[in-house]
Amino acid sequence: MSYSGDRSPAASLGLLDATMVGIGAMIGAGIFVLTGLAVETAGAAAILAFALNGGVTTFTALSYGELASAIPRNGGGYAYVREAFSAPVAFVMGWTRWFTYIVAGALYALGFAANFVEFIEIYGVHLPGPPVAYALASVVVLVALNAVSTEASGGAETVVTLVKLAILGVFIAFGLTAAGVGEFDPFFPSGGAVSLLPAMGLTFIAFQGYDLIATVTEEVENPRKNIPRAILLSVLVTVVVYLLVVFVAIGTLGVPGLAGAGETAIAQAAEGFMPTFPVIGTGAALIAFGAVFSTISALNAVVIGSSRVAFAMGRERQLPAQLGRLHARFGTPFVAVLASAAVMLLAVVVVPIRTVGNLASLFSLLGFVVVNLAVIRIRRQQPNLERPFEIPYYPLPPILGIVCNLLLGLFIDPITWLLALGWLALGGGVYLLLRGREREPTPTEPEIAEPDVTIPPETD
Amino acid sequence: MTETLRVVVAGGGELGSRTARLLADRGHTVVVVESDPDRAETVSDEYVASIIVGDASRPSILRQANPANSDVLAALTDDEATNFAICTAAQRMADIRTVMRTTRAPDDLYPEYVDGTVFPDGLGARSAVNEIVESGVRTLEDVSGDLEIVEIEIAPDAPVAGRRLDEIRLPRGSLIVSDADGSRIGGPDTVLRAGGRYVVAVESDVADEVLNLMRG
Repeated sequence: MSYSGDRSPAASLGLLDATMVGIGAMIGAGIFVLTGLAVETAGAAAILAFALNGGVTTFTALSYGELASAIPRNGGGYAYVREAFSAPVAFVMGWTRWFTYIVAGALYALGFAANFVEFIEIYGVHLPGPPVAYALASVVVLVALNAVSTEASGGAETVVTLVKLAILGVFIAFGLTAAGVGEFDPFFPSGGAVSLLPAMGLTFIAFQGYDLIATVTEEVENPRKNIPRAILLSVLVTVVVYLLVVFVAIGTLGVPGLAGAGETAIAQAAEGFMPTFPVIGTGAALIAFGAVFSTISALNAVVIGSSRVAFAMGRERQLPAQLGRLHARFGTPFVAVLASAAVMLLAVVVVPIRTVGNLASLFSLLGFVVVNLAVIRIRRQQPNLERPFEIPYYPLPPILGIVCNLLLGLFIDPITWLLALGWLALGGGVYLLLRGREREPTPTEPEIAEPDVTIPPETD
Repeated sequence: MTETLRVVVAGGGELGSRTARLLADRGHTVVVVESDPDRAETVSDEYVASIIVGDASRPSILRQANPANSDVLAALTDDEATNFAICTAAQRMADIRTVMRTTRAPDDLYPEYVDGTVFPDGLGARSAVNEIVESGVRTLEDVSGDLEIVEIEIAPDAPVAGRRLDEIRLPRGSLIVSDADGSRIGGPDTVLRAGGRYVVAVESDVADEVLNLMRG
C-alpha cells in the first residue's frame, strides 16, 4: 500500500532552527531598545536586573517545556491554558497574549525608527520628520507584506538570527577589551536596590521569546525531546549574550551616558570603542545596522505572532469568526492581520515608549503566571498524562515562577496597570457580547442553577 | 467554515493512533487514552495527541481525558463491550457525541445509545473483495446512499481510451476526480490512457454507463 500513514513533511525545524526561533525573538530588539531605559532606572545594577530576569524566566521556561512536550498543539501559551482552564480563562490568556504581541510590535517599531534615524545620521544624512513617522511606516509596510503573503520559512529565521548574533559577537569582542569595571561603581543608584524591580519589570518583555517556539511546535523534528531542549537552550544563550552586551555597554559608555541615550544606547556605546571597518564604515554603523535589522525582524515576527493568536481565537469562536478566516485570494489571515495592525498603529501613536515596554512586560508576566498555574492544574487533573519532559523539583519551579512574575508585575507603575485593566475590561465586553450572540439561538441551554425561577430569554 | 473539534480517542492501537493522526492533520485537537505504556510512548512519539496512560473504561482515567470539554469521544479499542462501556460512561460525564468500534456487524439497537458505529471488519471485507476480484474496478469509499468513489482502470478497447476529457461526454452524475497516477485532479486536458487507473465519483444510476464507457 502506498498510502500508509507517513506524516506529511511539515516537521522541518531541527534543534538548531527551533532554538534560533527562540533566540531570534529574544535577542531581536529588547537588548537594543531596552538597555538604555533599564540603566536609566537601575543604574549599573541593570546588569543584575537582566541576570535575575533570566532566572525568573527559567522557571516559566521549564513549565513551557513540560506543557509543550505533553500537549502537541500550535498556539503556545494560549493552547495550554485552553487545555487546563475553562473558556473565559483561556479567553483572558489569548486576549493578553494578543495584546503582548501587539504592544511588543509597537515597541520594536519605535526602536526601529530611533535606530534607523541614528543609522542614517552616521552617514551624514539628516532624515526629515519625527521618528514616529518611520515607526508607522515600518508597521504599514510589514503588515502589507504579511497581509498578502504567507510567512517565510524557519530556515530564513535561522540565518537572520545568526547574523544578529554575529554582530553582537563583534560588539562584545571589541567591547570587552575597552570596558572598565570602574563604571560599575556605585553599583546601585541613589534609590537603592529596590529600583532593581521596576527595571526587571521593564525589561522582562525581552525574555519571553521562547513562547514563539511553543507556537510552532508541530514543525519541530523529534518534538518531544527537541522542544524542551530548544526552550531551555534559547533562554541560556540569550541570558549569556544579554549579560555580556550589558556589561560592555555599561563598562564603556558609563551609566549617565547610557541613560541619556535611550533606545539607541547600544549603538552609541559602540561608537566609543569600535574600530572602522572597510565598506561598512565605523563600528557604530555596524551596531546601528544590527539594531535596525534586529528590530525590523522582531517586528515582523510579532506581526505574524499577533495575527496568529487572533486567528486561533477567531477559529475557536473566542473572537469574532471573521478573524478566524483565511482570505480567499491571499491565503492569509487577512482580517486578523489588519485588526492587529490597527491596534499596533494606535499604540505607536498614543503610548510613550516606556509605557509601551511596561505594558508588554506586564501582560507577559501575567500570561506567564497563568501558564505556571496551568502546569500545576494539569498535573492535578491529569496525573496519568504522558509527560516526556518533567519539571525537575516539581512543584517548586512553577510556584517560584508564579511568585516572581507576580512580584515583578506589582512593581510596574500604576498607569500601566490602568491601561492594562482598560484593555481587560474591553476584552470582557467583547467576550460577553460574543457569548450573548452565540447563546441566542440555543435558549434551552440551562446555564445557572436557579431551580424554580426559569425566565425564558427575551426575543428581539 | 472549519471548526476545530476536541476529540477523545480511547484505544491507541493501530486504528486509534491512525484516527488520531488523521484528525490532527485536519487541525483537530486529540487526546488518546491507552493502557499499554509502550504503546502509549509510541503514540506519544508521533506528537499528534496528548496521551493519558491508563484504561479508558475506568472512570477515573476517562475523566482525565476531559470529556466535558470535548466534542466527540471515539471508543476504538479492540473489545466491543469495553467500547460500549466507555461510550456510556462518557455520556454520563458530559454531553458528548460518541462513536464506538464494533467487532461484529453492528447491533441494530446501538443507535439508541451511541451516535455512530465503526465496523472495521466491514471495511476490511471491501478491501478484501477489491484485492480478490481484480476486475479493474475498485470501490474506494461509499460516500452516502447513492454515491460511490471507485477506481477504474481504462480497458484498451474502451470507448474513451486515449481521449482527452474535453473530447468526451461522461454522463451527468459522474466526475473524474484524479488522473492516472493519482497526482493531479482531473481537468479538461486529462487524457484517459488505456491501462491507467482513475478515481471516479459516480451516482449509482449512471455507474453502469460509466463502466461501459471506461471498461468497454
